[in-house]
Amino acid sequence: MQLTIITDLNKCVGCKSCQVSCKEHNTAGAFGTVPDHDPYTEPDGMWWNRIVGMESGEYPNASVLYLPKACMHCYDAPCVPVCPTGASYKREDNGVVLVDYDSCIGCQLCMWACPYGVREFDEHEGVVKKCTMCIDRIEDDTLPDIERQPACVQSCPTHARTFGDLEDPESEVAKLVAQRQGFTLLPELGARPAVHYLPRRQAPVILDESEVLRIMEERY
Amino acid sequence: MRPTLPLLLMTVLQGLSGGLMISFGVLWWLVPSALPTLDILLWSAFLIAAIGGVASLFHMHKPKAGRYILRRLRTSWLSREALTTGIYVPALGVLVILPHLVPKIPLEYYGLGIVFTGVLGLVAMYVTAMLYATIPAMRSWHTRLTVIAMMLVGIVSGMAVAEGILAVAHVPGAGGRDFHIALLVGIAVLAGIKWMQYRHFLEARQSLRTATGTGMPAAPYRLIDSGTTKLPYRTQTQVGPELAPRRRQMLYVMMGLTLIVVPMALQIFPLQPAELGIRWTSAAIVMVCGAFVERWLFFADVTHSSRVWFGDELKRASSVSSNRVSPDFVRRFRHQDGL
Repeated sequence: MQLTIITDLNKCVGCKSCQVSCKEHNTAGAFGTVPDHDPYTEPDGMWWNRIVGMESGEYPNASVLYLPKACMHCYDAPCVPVCPTGASYKREDNGVVLVDYDSCIGCQLCMWACPYGVREFDEHEGVVKKCTMCIDRIEDDTLPDIERQPACVQSCPTHARTFGDLEDPESEVAKLVAQRQGFTLLPELGARPAVHYLPRRQAPVILDESEVLRIMEERY
Repeated sequence: MRPTLPLLLMTVLQGLSGGLMISFGVLWWLVPSALPTLDILLWSAFLIAAIGGVASLFHMHKPKAGRYILRRLRTSWLSREALTTGIYVPALGVLVILPHLVPKIPLEYYGLGIVFTGVLGLVAMYVTAMLYATIPAMRSWHTRLTVIAMMLVGIVSGMAVAEGILAVAHVPGAGGRDFHIALLVGIAVLAGIKWMQYRHFLEARQSLRTATGTGMPAAPYRLIDSGTTKLPYRTQTQVGPELAPRRRQMLYVMMGLTLIVVPMALQIFPLQPAELGIRWTSAAIVMVCGAFVERWLFFADVTHSSRVWFGDELKRASSVSSNRVSPDFVRRFRHQDGL
């Protein structure tokens, strides 16, 4: 099993709802792991999920890309073997890469090893933190099924993000990656990320029979 | 990224101590009679290594978890570094103290100890260098040059400091001509390696393009925002504000002068015995400064793969196109038209 999040770059509008809901969920309560010491005067602290906004070309041939960037939960996560204390580890049962804050010494070597720059250093606690794929939600049996998914997936207003098991051929994420040529970032660095993106392209118009009949009726 | 002081101290001083230890071993082998004089080198190597060791404790932000540091010996070069440096420094300490505790220690056993500790020093330097060279995401470091340069800086600066210390101890040139020539050759080789490494850093910086990280069409690219209003350099220390071209140039020139040119000039010119001491001591001091500048640049000028999501990129014209008309083409065109 390899849990993953697929982002459809056609649908992402850069609203940062996923970024904010991640911060909100992971800051909440007494045991919130994302530090938020001075949120009103210092909004540039730690974020586990950042939406990179990039513009290319020149007017009128310009385009904008929004790229939600969080931990890729790589198959061969380079951050795991470099960790001297074993604080960074990848779970065998669901493929999620996590950090054990009790054994992390804050050497930041995993941050250097991660090709995607998605690990963040918590200077208050002296440890490295990162996206947990909301492991506390997905493993909480008491939550209704609809809530047992990462906060960023649940909050996306355009349904650009999909959560599931990449290795289950029947899952929605596996089908999306296969049918829409899902790609990973910086594949040349050999980390084999589990998180995929669906490329931006014009979506084919899908019509069902009733729609065709309706149009025929209207026009002819 | 901007290196912290403990990181600079621990990497430079570990190399320096290893270089001093190796110098001590070589000098002891070349001039065994000078052992009482050479003792100061061993003490210096030990003290420098100890300072580096203390600095490494400050490099950990949560030293309490340091007890787990040997857990990943099988895969982590940092675990291996902790082990090898952890063996090297106490072994060096034993070598320093042993002659005082056991005055009549057989020379061959002591020699064996010197070789053993020297090899340990080399292994510790190698493991530390491998820690940096084996990170594919650090595009500038992921090369064999990192290991060669790091070890060479340690060994050569250690040799220069050994000569400087002996000069301060009023026995300049105790190592003899061979040691001096070896040092000069070492500096020359280091100059070549550092030039190659500079080229590699440049190539790493230029080969990372925004298109690689986004799959977007042609440049120019403008970063609208990187997730928050400021670039996340505070929490993402693997990248830092890129060095301004002029500052980078100035620092590389400074490194070349302090690590190569000035020490070489101070060592190479014909000397009067009276000024030998002051010149070699100055060369050693300048070279240690050079080692710090070199290491600061090694960290500050590094290119991490995540930089593709950090900056703007301008549209660039082709660097190979020209208006030159192909003579062959003109000839064929004229022939066809009967001109």
